[in-house]
Amino acid sequence: MSNTTGAEKQTLLPATTAGAAAALLVVGLAGMACAAALEYGRGDQWRYFLHSYLVNFCFFTSLSLGALFFVLLQHVARAGWSVTVRRLAELLAANVVVMLVLFVPLAASVLAGQGTLYPWAAPHTAAADHAIEQKQAYLNPTFFVVRSVGYLVVWWLTARYLLRLSLRQDESHDAALTLSMERFSPLALILLVVTLTFASFDWLMSLWPHWWSTIFGVYYLAGAAVGFVALLIIFTVLLERAGPLTDQVTAEHYHDLGKLLLAGVAFWGYVAFSQYLLIWYANIPEETAWYQPRHGGPWGWMSLGLLAGHLALPLVGLLSRWPKRNRLSLTFWAVWLLVMHWIDLYWSVMPAYDPHQPPWALSDAFCLVGMGGVYLGALIWRCRGRSLVPLGDPRRQEALDFENY
Amino acid sequence: MTTLALMHDDNTANDPQRRAPLVIGPQTDETVTDSVCRVTEEVRTPRAWFVALVVSAALTAVFFGTIGYLITTGIGVLGNNRPVMWAFPIVNFVFWIGIGHAGTLISAILFLFRQQWRTAINRSAEAMTIFAVICALIFPGIHMGRIWVAYWMAPYPNQMALWPNFRSPLMWDVFAVNTYFLVSAMFWYLGMIPDLATLRDRATSRLRHSIYGLLALGWNGSARQWQVYERAYLLLAALATPLVVSVHSVVSTDFAVAQLPGWHTTIFPPYFVAGAIFSGFAMVVTLMVPARAYFGLKHLVTLRHLDNVNKIMLATSCIVAYSYAIELFIAWYSGHSHERFVHLNRAFGPYAWTYWLMVACNVLLPQLFWLKRCRTTPWIMFLIALAVNVGMWLERFVIIVVSLSRDYLPANWAMYYPTLIDVLMLLGSFGLFFTLFLLFCRYLPMVAIWEVKHVLPREEVNHGRTRA
Repeated sequence: MSNTTGAEKQTLLPATTAGAAAALLVVGLAGMACAAALEYGRGDQWRYFLHSYLVNFCFFTSLSLGALFFVLLQHVARAGWSVTVRRLAELLAANVVVMLVLFVPLAASVLAGQGTLYPWAAPHTAAADHAIEQKQAYLNPTFFVVRSVGYLVVWWLTARYLLRLSLRQDESHDAALTLSMERFSPLALILLVVTLTFASFDWLMSLWPHWWSTIFGVYYLAGAAVGFVALLIIFTVLLERAGPLTDQVTAEHYHDLGKLLLAGVAFWGYVAFSQYLLIWYANIPEETAWYQPRHGGPWGWMSLGLLAGHLALPLVGLLSRWPKRNRLSLTFWAVWLLVMHWIDLYWSVMPAYDPHQPPWALSDAFCLVGMGGVYLGALIWRCRGRSLVPLGDPRRQEALDFENY
Repeated sequence: MTTLALMHDDNTANDPQRRAPLVIGPQTDETVTDSVCRVTEEVRTPRAWFVALVVSAALTAVFFGTIGYLITTGIGVLGNNRPVMWAFPIVNFVFWIGIGHAGTLISAILFLFRQQWRTAINRSAEAMTIFAVICALIFPGIHMGRIWVAYWMAPYPNQMALWPNFRSPLMWDVFAVNTYFLVSAMFWYLGMIPDLATLRDRATSRLRHSIYGLLALGWNGSARQWQVYERAYLLLAALATPLVVSVHSVVSTDFAVAQLPGWHTTIFPPYFVAGAIFSGFAMVVTLMVPARAYFGLKHLVTLRHLDNVNKIMLATSCIVAYSYAIELFIAWYSGHSHERFVHLNRAFGPYAWTYWLMVACNVLLPQLFWLKRCRTTPWIMFLIALAVNVGMWLERFVIIVVSLSRDYLPANWAMYYPTLIDVLMLLGSFGLFFTLFLLFCRYLPMVAIWEVKHVLPREEVNHGRTRA
């Protein structure tokens, strides 16, 4: 209905952000360069750098995956309330293409057969270890890289297709495009969950090539959902203030996003607890090996920190109605959980480098800033000239009207 | 009333520009009340209903007869024996608990998700939930053998200094299932109070008036009562939501905390929950397809409702298939010879037919629901739902019995065969379930009248909203 050019202009990013995108890209590349320079001096064949890099790689990928999951779910459920925040998710999902480029160092290390990151990648380890030798049909450098590139390409093409259709709808206001997206989404959702599962097996679980857990894919998905919803809340608050989302979102949207964040926290806790309880209780050495370094000492403190920070505190903090409707408190919990999601991935990866204690280094910060700069710079670049609200969506009015009871 | 609906009885079309109506025909408060209450007010006993009740009651008699025989004779009347110490009773227990998941999911989770289509089916699904949990609770009780000491499971101070072992998942089960039963029963009853008052107000006989009056707890429909009531309903929905997930997760730990390959795998909790919802929705379709036709409720429980239920079945079928696949992959990936063996044994061992029938019923057949024709044709969905019921029972058989029959020690292997008593008990539990459900259909409001009135199309006009 309200498809005037004024409304369209209003939902664009301000022109000054082009400079911000460039600046972020420069900061990002500089950060990466600093991290690499610091790590070059270490002389450990990039072993530390690769672990730190993997944490951030999985973190930023998970944000795009959570976004893609969200977009697909909205179409499968024919959701109305979320229309005005869906474009941000579409753009975030399509940003996964950056990760395709950022995958190059990981691919290079695995293909070089050094085994500094993934022990199975070194031919001599695999030959000496019967358990790893048995899985070589799956865990071998070529297949790993082919698979990983495959996942990333599938995600990118899925996200790009949905973004394109949605952008086309901005102009045409054609309801048939909604039907196309709704028809496409169920199968894409299945494809996403399967690829995400195997990606988590490949990138995170195979750091301990002897260890396995059937719920691991769901664990990564739950973390991705929390991280993405947290980021979406932060973006929505910022963009409502800056202009593009002013008059597009209300306290009702924050309330619902807060509910999703709460649900994500509960889901993550449920999955994490299921995995832990079953492994702890059965106490089979092959399985407890993964928890063993995380069970005592400094890593044990981090485990308890996650229990409190990623589950207990936000669960209580987000339970009431007002913290979800109040932009300030909701933003607080969103930032908090985004940090927790990063720590969760750090906790998942880094014991592979040092099972005794968290090996913090200055390059961690550079690596995070570097990859974050590239990711966000590319995201802002992607947003240029595009409406941040799906103006042509037939259910936009429903999203503007809806109220929680 | 149903003749009105015949003109446009298909509300399954998807138009993004407007939400489809959830009732068919020009319904008013009065027609909705009438069509639901009529079922309980019909003076003449409906013949087919009566025949069904007699058959179910007979099976119920068989159920309690076999239970009596079991208690007086001993657990040896069942086929359970080393190494398959858990067999039909536990399979049936998990099966019925699973069925009991649809009701609370529909009433609590779909309520929180603002899925308004739940209103026409939540009442009957909740009733089904409670009856299924009753059937479920009986099985572990009688499986203990010495039923007269069942009260030992309750933690109460006693001179024997006995205390339940809280480290045992079986104990968690006792609490999870009983909590679930209490909360779903409360939710069901609370939701029914305004409708019971409607029945009371329409009653023409003194007996009906006093019984429904007693059950309605003095409801008079004042604004104040509604305000308090809807708040209580929302709170109960929020309380019931974690229960939907927790009960079957706890049931899954009965198996998953053990070290037995085929029982011990980390995906069990969410996988069991998805399977439970899958089987529960299959039972909703099994019951509602005949009930909506027989009791003339097609204009309230429309094809759109069934379409949505079938979509949830398709989604949960895919989650179950995902779990099967991941279990298989990890069994290979683990390189663990026993893990690998247990899956080979499922697929190619002496019970292979149960495995493949399970895959066919739970994974392959529900894929037909990708076709809209299958989601909206009652007889097709009815047949698929029946198959899913069979498949989900078999799933528990495959997990419990097939894993136990061949564990780590080949010297310990043995086949399990059910006895006649095992089979009669399973059939008998269906008798109890259907008896209770049939009584519910005839004597209580089968559809939530007050909730359906909320979703009548006029509501949108009253709020002055335009759905562009």
